[in-house]
Amino acid sequence: MSRLDYLDELEARTIFILREAFSCVSPLAMLWSIGKDSTALLWMVRKAFLGEVPFPVVLLDTGMEFEEVYAFRDRLVAQWELPVANELCPPESTVDQTLPPAARHAARKTAGLRALIAREGYRGILLGIRRDEQAIRAKERIFSPRNADGSWDPRSQPPELWDYYAYDVPDGAHVRIHPLLHWTELDIWRYTLREQIPYVSLYLAQDGKRYRSLGESNITFPIASNADTLEKIIAELEVTREPERAGRAMDSESEDAFERLRTTGYM
Amino acid sequence: MKNVRIVMVGDVDAGKSTILGRLLVDLGLVTPAKLEELETSSSKRGVPIEYSFLLDAFQLERDQAITLDLTRIWVRTPDAEFVFVDAPGHRELIRNLLSGASEVDAAVMVVAADEGITQQTRRQALFLRWFGFANVLVAINKLDLADDSRAVYEARAAEVRSFLDQLGMQARAIVPVAARRGDGIVKPGPLTAWWQGPTLIEALGTLERVQVREDGPLRFVVQDVYRREGKRLIAGRVESGILERGEHLTFWPLQTGARVVAIHDWPDEIENAVTGSSIAIELDARVFVDRGAVGSRAIDAPELGHVAQTTVVWLGVDPVRAGEPLRMRLGAREISVTLQRIEESIDPDTLEPREAQELRSGDVGVVSLVSRELIAADTNLPESSIGRFVLVRNGAIVAGGQIDAVVGHNRGEGATNVVAMTSSVERIERTTRNGHAGGVFWLTGLPSAGKSTVAMAVQRMLFERGRQVYVLDGDTLRTSLNVDLGFSDEDRSENVRRTAAVAGVFADAGFIVICALISPFSADRELARAAYPNGFHEIYVSCDLVTAEGRDVKGHYGRARRGELAHFTGVSSPYEIPNNPELVVDTASHRIEESAAQLLEYVEAHLVK
Repeated sequence: MSRLDYLDELEARTIFILREAFSCVSPLAMLWSIGKDSTALLWMVRKAFLGEVPFPVVLLDTGMEFEEVYAFRDRLVAQWELPVANELCPPESTVDQTLPPAARHAARKTAGLRALIAREGYRGILLGIRRDEQAIRAKERIFSPRNADGSWDPRSQPPELWDYYAYDVPDGAHVRIHPLLHWTELDIWRYTLREQIPYVSLYLAQDGKRYRSLGESNITFPIASNADTLEKIIAELEVTREPERAGRAMDSESEDAFERLRTTGYM
Repeated sequence: MKNVRIVMVGDVDAGKSTILGRLLVDLGLVTPAKLEELETSSSKRGVPIEYSFLLDAFQLERDQAITLDLTRIWVRTPDAEFVFVDAPGHRELIRNLLSGASEVDAAVMVVAADEGITQQTRRQALFLRWFGFANVLVAINKLDLADDSRAVYEARAAEVRSFLDQLGMQARAIVPVAARRGDGIVKPGPLTAWWQGPTLIEALGTLERVQVREDGPLRFVVQDVYRREGKRLIAGRVESGILERGEHLTFWPLQTGARVVAIHDWPDEIENAVTGSSIAIELDARVFVDRGAVGSRAIDAPELGHVAQTTVVWLGVDPVRAGEPLRMRLGAREISVTLQRIEESIDPDTLEPREAQELRSGDVGVVSLVSRELIAADTNLPESSIGRFVLVRNGAIVAGGQIDAVVGHNRGEGATNVVAMTSSVERIERTTRNGHAGGVFWLTGLPSAGKSTVAMAVQRMLFERGRQVYVLDGDTLRTSLNVDLGFSDEDRSENVRRTAAVAGVFADAGFIVICALISPFSADRELARAAYPNGFHEIYVSCDLVTAEGRDVKGHYGRARRGELAHFTGVSSPYEIPNNPELVVDTASHRIEESAAQLLEYVEAHLVK
């Protein structure tokens, strides 16, 4: 019998948040981008609910994911018996055309999410974002209420004292729930290694390149790396200064690109 | 490697974000590309390189050079990983500062050399003390604005010491820095050349993560109950102590109890769960346990009462006054409370208590809260979530608080809040006040089937949950209202009719009425239903004759068998088993606690709220 270690603590808090969400917010769905974060989250959902996944798991599908991503999804859905749903996102021509090109691709997901919520009436959406990914996400709350149009008002976020979360939202609005907010990229890989959680092989280096963050295939680029095992990825991240999302074109097209995406409802 | 979470506090513009930005740059954690981007966005706004932009990511923050919301940054050194929570210094953004302070191990207070301790700094320090911080690390910043950096530092340091002393807090260190130039952050500079003490990064290295005590009393806070393959799994978190398989747990405030037969840490089963674990347990009996219940060992129970004396920070936009009804979230339980009295509010300038009629946003006050429901709380156990709470108004969190004492268990004094009734009170008003509508739960069954025992147990538990509840017991009523009635079929019918009429009046008045009556005839029970048609529940307390006769609590079966009692149901008078009752409670094969739990769950599920 020994006290919880650092990863145990992170995991216990995530399970606590998941159970709060399930008890207090209904109906609920989870977004699964099939990347390392939301897959680790899915593993913890199974832990929280003793092997079951008691809400739908949704992929916002732009049709532009990597082939490996689709194949990985199909394999895990079968293996873990996941209640999965595929939400096709509207075409790029329907989104805000004043956004830079890559951000327009990303905005398709926002539109897909809005349509999903409107149709299914979800009051809570679970997402695997983390604060250390990106400076705007660093300002998020664990329970983050959204307006009826899905927009985020970062200037009037509710207090989040101790483990008391804001889960009441008016009809038509919803709350984004972020059970991984307190994790870092390194934590996720260390946990994935420890728990033997499956992951998409694109994260591992091949011919001197690997994907550090997975988005749509047309707006995501690999980084130079020789890390072809999880152990090597962890060693690489322990010393790197490069930001995780450097390969995501949508983040850096203009100074305000990601803020604009997020305040209008991006994940 | 240690991981320490730190909140940065200080007045707006004291340079908190700049210190953190500078820390990142001087530790070599910022890439050349990012630095270049920083220069671009600084020069776009006509300012020299602005380190705070590394944290202040919103356009508005950059345009106005202020922090609006909490942000977190991760700083890795060879020995430690720090998570800094950078909180805004504005008064109107106190909710953000408090949110940040509630999740950290240590605090750094930044004081600008040219301003010293401002009213806002005082207020923030008050919050830190309220959160239980005994000490803070202080940075005197902006020494580049001083002619004599050493003299200014010494004057400010003395001011800080006496101020913290007044609060009963201590400074771990008071470090001189000039964040814009980098002096004193990671290495000394010309402005801090005279300083013999640590640089900021060295002082940060002495901070430690708060370790939870594992020898505390057991607290298992229930979040939910899941059903899996016929098993009842009680999910929650061990917030203090260690939970061991095989031990007996008591659940508060209802004081139900059972033994832990399994601890699930999916996919494994474990022998014990340490502090901080999120697990699920199985019990050996189906006692009533629901979200918000707190499991402990019987010997070190939480405190119980209907009145909580608390210290709160008010965050609501509109002020609060005595008499306002609010919702309180304590652990995983949410209950109705009334703010009974504002004892005092603390003046942030003098730190002295003063009388107050209301609390406004940002005020710290001592208030008492009363509830009809029994409150189970910890007053001296920082790791337990039932020692701290939030208050909710119209669905929004408007205050955070800590419980200083709980009183008034037996009498529930103050909790009743009785207002003289007039005939113009409508049913919906009663429902609103009670938190539930009235209803009649009619227990029928053989003599000695357990009707009265189950009714009394459930009444007690409903009462502790703040419900308006009353038991109409057949035998008891026969000593008063129905004293003129015998046991002929006609008299039995009249007995049921009168009881049903009284039950209907009580239910109309908003009560949950539990009737415990043999009521052997179906036709009579149907008439009883007609007396309160929209909230009547027929509950068959099922027990076979042999078992009931074996109990024979009142000795009546024996007398009936000896022919001393005529018209005794089950022996010399028939009992018509209900054809289609709303609920069957089987007392022959279940323990009384389990039957009570079953009925309580049924009542709670069928109350109109």
